Amino acid sequence: MLNVEDLVKQYGDLTAVDTISFEAGEGSVFGLLGPNGAGKSTAINCISGLLSPTSGRIAVSGHDIIKDGKAARQSLGVVPQELALYEDLPAIDNLRYWGKAYGLRGKVLEDRVTEVLGHIGLADRAKDLPKEFSGGMKRRLNFGCGIVHKPKLLLLDEPTVGVDPQSRAKLFDLVEAERGDGACVLYTTHYMEEAERLCDSLAIIDHGKLIAQGTVAELKSQLGARDALQLTGEFPAEASKAAIDTLANSISDLEILTQDDNTLLLTLSSASQHLPAIFAAVSGAGGSVSETNLRSPNLETLFLLLTGKELRE
Amino acid sequence: MKFLFASVKKDLARWRQDKTAILIWLGIPFLIGGLITSMIDGGGGTPTGVLLIADKDESLLSGFVAGAYSQDQLGELIVAEKVSLEEGEKRINDGDASGFLIIPEGFQDAFLNETPVTLILKTNPAQTILPGIIEDVTEILLDAGFYAQRLFGPEIRQIQNADSITVPDDVFVAGVAVEIQAKMSSIGTKLSPPLLDVVIVEPPPAEPRPDMALLFLPGIILMAVLFASNSLAADYWTERQNGTLRRLVSAPGVLTGFVAGKAIAALTVIGLIATVTLFIGFIYHDVSWSKFLSSLVWVSFGGVGMFAWFAALQMLFANNRAANLVTTILLFPLMMAGGSFFPLAALPEWIAGVGRLSPNGFIVDRLSGELTAASSWTIDANSWLTLLAMTASGLAISTWRLKAGFARK
Repeated sequence: MLNVEDLVKQYGDLTAVDTISFEAGEGSVFGLLGPNGAGKSTAINCISGLLSPTSGRIAVSGHDIIKDGKAARQSLGVVPQELALYEDLPAIDNLRYWGKAYGLRGKVLEDRVTEVLGHIGLADRAKDLPKEFSGGMKRRLNFGCGIVHKPKLLLLDEPTVGVDPQSRAKLFDLVEAERGDGACVLYTTHYMEEAERLCDSLAIIDHGKLIAQGTVAELKSQLGARDALQLTGEFPAEASKAAIDTLANSISDLEILTQDDNTLLLTLSSASQHLPAIFAAVSGAGGSVSETNLRSPNLETLFLLLTGKELRE
Repeated sequence: MKFLFASVKKDLARWRQDKTAILIWLGIPFLIGGLITSMIDGGGGTPTGVLLIADKDESLLSGFVAGAYSQDQLGELIVAEKVSLEEGEKRINDGDASGFLIIPEGFQDAFLNETPVTLILKTNPAQTILPGIIEDVTEILLDAGFYAQRLFGPEIRQIQNADSITVPDDVFVAGVAVEIQAKMSSIGTKLSPPLLDVVIVEPPPAEPRPDMALLFLPGIILMAVLFASNSLAADYWTERQNGTLRRLVSAPGVLTGFVAGKAIAALTVIGLIATVTLFIGFIYHDVSWSKFLSSLVWVSFGGVGMFAWFAALQMLFANNRAANLVTTILLFPLMMAGGSFFPLAALPEWIAGVGRLSPNGFIVDRLSGELTAASSWTIDANSWLTLLAMTASGLAISTWRLKAGFARK
C-alpha cells in the first residue's frame, strides 16, 4: 500500500529527513515515532504531496506520488495536526465538500456523509457550525473530513495533540475502525503509549534518521530484559567510568550508554537488585547520586537506549 | 467542473454567514455618495438674496427703483421686499437678508430738482456674493438715473405734475411720448454704435453635459466593489489559516476548480452589490434602464478582475498582516486616482489619464461612458478583452501561488 524508499528532504544545509525507508500494508497501523522536530511531519508532508522530496521514492497503491500524483492522491486521506475545517460551514457541508473534492457525488456521497457523521458521533450536530463545537468535536470532524472518501491510505499527523482523554479514546476507536475496514494508517506521534496501543509496526525516527523499525514486539525484544537506569548527581568522568567498568566484571550485562559530569545512563538486567553495588562504586570513585530513575523495558526505554535522550525532550 | 460548483456553493454559504460585511461594503459608498450628492444639490438650485426696501418717499421714482431690482434675470437672484424702516433694521441686524435699502423722503423731488440726496444701503457682512451684486446694481441704477434725469427731466416733471388722481388722457401720454421719441432720435447718432455687419456663426452643437452628480455614480459604485473585492480576496488567507488549503492540495486535481469557484462566488457577491448600487443610482439619476444590464455586467466582471489581482497580490506576502496592510493602503490611492472621490471628468487631464490606467479607473471610465452615452452596450471590444486579460492573469497568478507554496504552509 505505502512504499517509502530512501526518502530525503533537505532545506538548504538542513536535512530534515535523511534516507528513510519503510513499508506499510493494508489493514494495518504503521507508527512513525519520534520527538518533536525529528522529521515525522516532514516525512508525512512528503507522502501527502505537500512537499516535494529532495530524493527518494514514495508510492501509494503503486502510484508514484511525484510522477503519478493525481492517482496516488486519490487513495490518500489526510488528517492534519492542526484543524483543517470551515468553521463557518455546517459540519455536514464540511464533509460533503471534502467528499466532492475526492470525486464522490449524489447518493454515494450522501450515504457516506451520513455514515461518517454517525461514525464520528456528530449525527445530531450535523447542521451546526463547527465554530460552536468543543475542541474534541472539532477533532472528530477533522478526522471525518479525512476519511469521508474511504481512503486506502490514511495519514494521521499527531491527531491527539491537545485532545482530552475522552476524545482521544474516541479517536483511537476511529483509527481502529479504519484499520478494520482495510485501510492502511500511517500514524505519527511522540506518545509511546499511543504507539504501543495502536500500531502493528512502527519506525523510530530521530534527527531525520530512522533508528529502529519493526513490530512493537520486535522492538521490545531488542531491549532484552534490560532496564534503563539513569543517575543524576556528580560523576567525575574517568573515575566513574573506571568504577562502572570494574563493576561490569561482576554484573554481566551492565553497560554505560551515556555519561557526562551530571548524568550517568546505564543499562542492565534486574537493575533494582544491583543498586547498592552501583551506588557504592560511584561513591568510591568520588561521585555522588542525587536522583535515580529506573525504567523497565518499553518503547520509551528503547528510544532512550537508542538515542540517549528522552522521547519528549 | 463539479468541484467548481461545490466550491462556489461552499463560498457563497460561508459569505451568507457574514451579512455584516456585505452591508458595510454597501453602506460606505452610500454614505459617501449621500454626502457628495447633498453637497452638489445642497440648496436646490441658484441661491437668491433678499433685498429689504424701506420706501419713505412712496413716489413714482422710488417705485421704479424698488422695481428695478426684480427685473428680468436680476429677479432670479434678488427678491425685493418692501418693509418698514423698523422691520428692515431688525431683519438686517438679524442677518435675515442680504441687503437693506432706505429710500429717503423727498427722493423724487431731489432727483428732479438735481439736489443732493442720499440712498442708504446696508449689507449683510455674513454674505459675500449677493450683497456685492446688490451694491453693483444700486450703483448702476444711480448712474442710469443721472443720465435719465439729464435727458428726460422735463418729461418726467410733466408726468409728476400731472393729476395723480385721474388717469392721464391719450393726448397727454402721446405728447410725452413724442417728446421722448424726438430726443431719442436727436441723440441716436451719438448713442448708437457704429453700424457693423454682424455675421452670426452658429457654434457647433455642444455635447449635452451630463449631470455632475451622475458623474460621481460610477466612482461610488466602484468604491463598494473595491472594498468587496479586497475583502473577498483576503479569504485565501482565511483558508490558509483554517488549514483547508493544506487539505486541498492533498486532494487530486482540484486546485483549478477551487480558484475558479472562488472567482465565481466573488462574481456573485460583487454582482449583488453592483445590482443594489446601480439600481438606486439609476432611480436617483433617472438613467435609462436600457443601460442597466450592460452596466451591471461590466461592473460585476470588473470587480472579479480586481478580486483576482487583489488575491494574487495578497498571496505574494509572507504573512496575513502585511498582505492586509499593503492592500488596504493601496485602496485609497486607487480610489483617489480612479475617480471614486472626484469624477475623472473633474480632474486635471494628466491626473485623469493616470487614473484611467488604474484598474478601477479603467472600469469607472468605461462605466461613465456607458451611463452618459446616448445608447447602451457602448463599451468597446478592446475594453472587454482588456478586462478578460486582467482577470485571467490575476487568476493564473493566484493558482501559481497556491501551487508554489502558499497553500502548503
